[in-house]
Amino acid sequence: MSTEDKKFTRRQILRWVGGGLLFNATGTVLYDPIGRLIRPVNDRLGEAMLSQRLIPEIDLGDHVDLGKLIVNSFDGTPKIDLANFRLQVTGQVNKPLNLSMEDIRRLPYESQITQHVCVEGWAAIVQWGGVKLSDILQVAGVKSTARYVYFTSADGYYESWDLASAQHPQTLLAYQKNDAPLPPENGAPLRLASPIKLGYKLSKWVTAVTVTDKLMTKRGYWEDQGYDWFASI
Amino acid sequence: MRPIAIRIFHWVNLIVLWGLIGSGLQIYNANPVFGGRQGWHIPGAFLLGGWLGGARNWHFTLMWFFGLNLLAYGLYILFSRRWQHYFVQQKDIKALAQSQNLQRRQFAWHRIVYTIAIPLLLLSLISGISMYQPSQFHWLARSFGSWQNLRTIHFLAVPVLISLVIVHGTIASNIGNGVLLRSMFAIKSTSNS
Repeated sequence: MSTEDKKFTRRQILRWVGGGLLFNATGTVLYDPIGRLIRPVNDRLGEAMLSQRLIPEIDLGDHVDLGKLIVNSFDGTPKIDLANFRLQVTGQVNKPLNLSMEDIRRLPYESQITQHVCVEGWAAIVQWGGVKLSDILQVAGVKSTARYVYFTSADGYYESWDLASAQHPQTLLAYQKNDAPLPPENGAPLRLASPIKLGYKLSKWVTAVTVTDKLMTKRGYWEDQGYDWFASI
Repeated sequence: MRPIAIRIFHWVNLIVLWGLIGSGLQIYNANPVFGGRQGWHIPGAFLLGGWLGGARNWHFTLMWFFGLNLLAYGLYILFSRRWQHYFVQQKDIKALAQSQNLQRRQFAWHRIVYTIAIPLLLLSLISGISMYQPSQFHWLARSFGSWQNLRTIHFLAVPVLISLVIVHGTIASNIGNGVLLRSMFAIKSTSNS
């Protein structure tokens, strides 16, 4: 063997890169079975990390500005008749609720400056004002069999959460953003806001909260297409 | 042949990093770090996952292999005491300054490059954990200053680690005319290795 044979030749390098591209092509075909294997594992991890402790708020002191949210919705901004708007709270609760915005504004006001993180990779620091979801759930009286919370939106978007995340003290139904009334494209009159979940979990234009003991086949608009369900951040 | 633990570490790293880069760039394309949605997108041949959800499946599968591989390697060099004599030392710097021996100089460069690899691999892991769980690991994520800093640093792992692999591989292939590189990626012992 000559010494040249022993070094990496151009041909060998091309073979490695070719192998790499073939790996990508094959792996892309297999994205779904891989996801079915790994998502339950990572969901479990998210569940294990969750606690009811507060995520420290972002300090607006020095260089941090309130960021701009990129508006994502799967079907535009729905038209909502604010005068007749009602939030339904039903399912595994002792006292189903049918709340107007007036009723909701009468509940204790919560404000927090937290980071909103989108699955796409961008993030924005936002001031959210509204009511703790846990306060609403407390008024309704969650039954001991309850384990999940479903959110239905005016545009047909749907989401499901674990009860512990829904009861986290920083999970809000927000009606205010960046010290102003929540704009329609960001989910007015009422949307979810929380520093513990990715943006696609934070339903806009929420009209119904349904407490359940089981997770149904339809778990969320994006989850049903292959995003992770727990979506801890 | 190199010790089996070191060979496994190299094989796993090579495959897993390639997959992490492909799926990471597919995630990047959902909202490019530089320029947002109007920014430049990475061509499809280098991507893994097909779409954002598919890429996340791969990225958050391979992250386990990457992290556990790095951990196993750390434990190995700790308990085998390789850390005492394996990484770059004063004598390598001295050799580069004084020695005319080509082999000695090559070896010094080799040790410098693979020593640098360790903090770079750790930084990609730490910046990745920070982006994956910025609230649960807020103390870690916020140490990067801003989200854009964090994204940029995690993205820079791609060109930096690719360059590192090229330089590391080139130097290694020059040592003993390729014997070192062959022995690192040898799967089974052969008579001429």
